[in-house]
Amino acid sequence: MPTIQVFESALCCSSGVCGTNVDQHLVDFAADFAWAKQSGATIERFNLAQQPMAYAENAVVKAFLERSGTEALPLILVDGEVALAGRYPQRNELSRWAGLSAVELENAGNCCSGGRCCG
Amino acid sequence: MRFMDRPPPFLFFTGKGGVGKTSLACAAAVQLADQGKRVLLVSTDPASNVGQVFGITIGNKITAVAAVPRLFALEIDPQAAAQQYRDRIVGPVRGVLPDAVVKSIEEQLSGACTTEIAAFDEFTALLTDVTLQKDYDHIIFDTAPTGHTIRLLQLPGAWTGFLDEGKGDASCLGPLAGLEKQRAQYKAAVDALANAAQTRLILVARAQRSTLREAARTHEELAAIGLAKQYLVINGILPDAEANTAGDKLATAVCKREHAAVDDMPEALRKLPTDHVPLKAFNLVGLEALRGLLSGHVATSASISTPVTIPSAPTLTSLVDDLVGNGKNRGHGLIMLMGKGGVGKTTLAAAVAVELASRGHPVHLTTSDPAAHLLETLEGSLENLSVSRIDPHVETERYRQHVLDSKGKNLDEHGRALLEEDLRSPCTEEIAVFQAFSRIIREAGKKFVVMDTAPTGHTLLLLDATGAYHREVARNMGEGAHFLTPMMQLQDVTRTKVLIVTLAETTPVLEAASLQADLRRAGIEPWAWIINNSLAFAHSTSPLLRQRAANELAQIEAVSTQHARRWAVVPLMAEEPVGVERLRRLARH
Repeated sequence: MPTIQVFESALCCSSGVCGTNVDQHLVDFAADFAWAKQSGATIERFNLAQQPMAYAENAVVKAFLERSGTEALPLILVDGEVALAGRYPQRNELSRWAGLSAVELENAGNCCSGGRCCG
Repeated sequence: MRFMDRPPPFLFFTGKGGVGKTSLACAAAVQLADQGKRVLLVSTDPASNVGQVFGITIGNKITAVAAVPRLFALEIDPQAAAQQYRDRIVGPVRGVLPDAVVKSIEEQLSGACTTEIAAFDEFTALLTDVTLQKDYDHIIFDTAPTGHTIRLLQLPGAWTGFLDEGKGDASCLGPLAGLEKQRAQYKAAVDALANAAQTRLILVARAQRSTLREAARTHEELAAIGLAKQYLVINGILPDAEANTAGDKLATAVCKREHAAVDDMPEALRKLPTDHVPLKAFNLVGLEALRGLLSGHVATSASISTPVTIPSAPTLTSLVDDLVGNGKNRGHGLIMLMGKGGVGKTTLAAAVAVELASRGHPVHLTTSDPAAHLLETLEGSLENLSVSRIDPHVETERYRQHVLDSKGKNLDEHGRALLEEDLRSPCTEEIAVFQAFSRIIREAGKKFVVMDTAPTGHTLLLLDATGAYHREVARNMGEGAHFLTPMMQLQDVTRTKVLIVTLAETTPVLEAASLQADLRRAGIEPWAWIINNSLAFAHSTSPLLRQRAANELAQIEAVSTQHARRWAVVPLMAEEPVGVERLRRLARH
């Protein structure tokens, strides 16, 4: 099964409540991440403020940071290659990358449970 | 002293800076050692003066206090612990990742949470080390963990997400990533805290409304998470005899005010076993002074006779002369009074506002102090003065509820619990209150806006980094308006003047200096310092108060020569500074 790695910017709160505007994307992604894990995906989150070595030791991530800076995070790698940058993935993207079956998707409900597509 | 009656192994003294926690902890340690107990005294005060109190150097290792058999001491510096943690995380990537990236990591790790958790991590070792507990009958701490820290460590969801997998969901647990302690050890530490047979918590307050209110809050917060065995010590009470024998107006007024504050004490504190400790003339340095503290011995006027010369000092009036400004900046701007709770920010904000309004400038005074009844006496009293109030509790609840209802609506139980805990972090109230203030800030282009609160530099940096403020301000100002973020406005000294308020005592001055350092990190240079409630400028004839006044001089000197660019002193007043006339009198001494 492919490995998904999500490299996030330096977060004080992984839920984002420390900002004046709580980032809905972050709150939603926290839920989608939990869902993906539960569905059997191999997925990891990295917080720049807590695990900076993971960024420094990965050539792709390090080069990305040098070129685009922290502003361009999050960066999502699938099996070590860039799959997405600059925004959090949606639930259907996670399931596609992880190769989760349609059955699991259905069992997990529709894309709107915690996703962004319904606003 | 009731709090010293059959004490359990662990004693925690808690209270805000300047109430005398460290002195009481030292005195308790000496008393127990004198009784034949083996005692370890642990200070986590970043400005620990335990070594100074005993005349030895202690530091971060257990050191015998030679003058007191069976007494040992240890100083833990939570700032240093937090710095070690930051170094452990950031050190390996410095020079490897781009500088801007490293800087963003460091800022995230500069918050109060990191320091709090790093300090607690040091505690846990002491609370759970079986060998230590064999070696010592009592371990005494001059501080206690906050409710926020303990709740985090109790939250099962946070633990399963965090320690089992090594990656956290709960924000404030982040700092634990670099700490080695295991879940079982944290649990054992929290259990020890909640066990009345093992732990006693001693709330320390002064006979003042604000510190008693804060003690009541701490009491409720810690009781809610299981620290049920609590005692109250009201420290530094001016003896009635001093008012009677000295015949001094100030001493009499202070006595009366302190009695009133104790009589009106919050309900939650009344049921606690309580001790009153009288004010001493001298700072509690040296063994004899410490042994006298808990003996109930009251200093007599006859024993004090040091004559002192009080130097001259700038008044608040002279600061206000400069605040008025000149050129296009004349007559408007944002004035923020900052400082720890209880130093008198609200009173001084009112005094500055009254002084400006009396000179004909339009002023909006706004407070977040829920008990600022003094403002009610100002409403409508001066033509140019308007007054408003922001209730932090209401604003915070509204903000929490809003976030949970909107952003948290799709979360499952576990996710919601984590979000709720994040919303209980100390940052949340600050953000909620500052959102409310940012609506008022925009008036500062047309008139003076005087506030008795402000966000910390840490919060400003985090908020500004997200850019959320640009949107927030744009929304408040309406479409198409030229705007400035609060961060930009606060950094511009022609628009904003930050006044740091402190007391002429060691701990409050150190706390104010660290507040200043935090603001400078955010590019904000405090404009002036105000030393409030000074006895040195109160012209008391009471020998006890005169001796306390002499003790202030070293701190006043430190503020004027080391910390402040501009400064002023406001004396302690015999009457509560309520109403226009008395507030005006504060500005002149």
